[in-house]
Amino acid sequence: MGMAIGGKSGGPTADMNVTPMIDVLLVLIIIFMLITPLTPHGLQALVPQPPKDKTPPPENDRTVVVQVLGNGSSPSTIKINQDDVTLETLEGRLTDIFKLRAEKIMFVRADQDIPFEQVAQVIDVAHSAGVDKVGLVTKNIEAGH
Amino acid sequence: MALQVRNEGANVQSSINVTPMVDVMLVLLIIFMVVTPMLQHGHPVEMAKVDHPENMPDADKEDALLVAVQRDGKVYFGNDPVDPAALTQKVKDKLAAKAQVVFVRADKRAKYGVVADTVDNIRAAGVDQIGLLTDRKQTPGAPPR
Repeated sequence: MGMAIGGKSGGPTADMNVTPMIDVLLVLIIIFMLITPLTPHGLQALVPQPPKDKTPPPENDRTVVVQVLGNGSSPSTIKINQDDVTLETLEGRLTDIFKLRAEKIMFVRADQDIPFEQVAQVIDVAHSAGVDKVGLVTKNIEAGH
Repeated sequence: MALQVRNEGANVQSSINVTPMVDVMLVLLIIFMVVTPMLQHGHPVEMAKVDHPENMPDADKEDALLVAVQRDGKVYFGNDPVDPAALTQKVKDKLAAKAQVVFVRADKRAKYGVVADTVDNIRAAGVDQIGLLTDRKQTPGAPPR
């Protein structure tokens, strides 16, 4: 065993010292994480202001109101105007309705005890069906204030 | 025992000393744990998850008006709890332009009635665009929009 070159004992280690490199890399990761923060997501909705000139808007039968009805505990029902739909069929129905319309406006009304998530899903489906403007119908809007 | 052989060469460690790296990583972890809640503007709630939310980079800006609705119905303006009746005035004071969007971050299990009342109060301040902040549902196959 006279020629144990670069054996276990002795001999200069040829390994690179990676610790400073790892430090630098980690700092870079942090810099990147800071400059790309999570952009918030959301759903655009409108709450129309009352008209200035107190004249009631012309009634038309083309208004689409999607209602989410229920008491929050049992499964809620979704209606487009008077027709029952489910969350799955809603998108297809809305696409059909708005396919030929120029003004893609829709209103969403929901019962008091409905969890917000269901309303958010309805609005989301409406946006994916191509409805640009989703109006929320709140108590004051219904009362015309 | 006249000549004690120095045997240091026999046990030279050739493995990396990871202790400094671990130190640095732990410090980073702590920094992140401290900083991450600070990056979040407004009162944090568990947001509803929907499939195709829009990006709302404005909600991350320093002057964004954020209203949070907690699951139990408590309303926060920015980080401060606010009385629903006083919300209108507070929003009005902070509102820079009429066209400004007010962001509503509602808990997914908050009752819609409370959310609608909050939206009503914001609307009374003269706002007609609402951004309902949501999270993107993490399902593979849902195309980003």
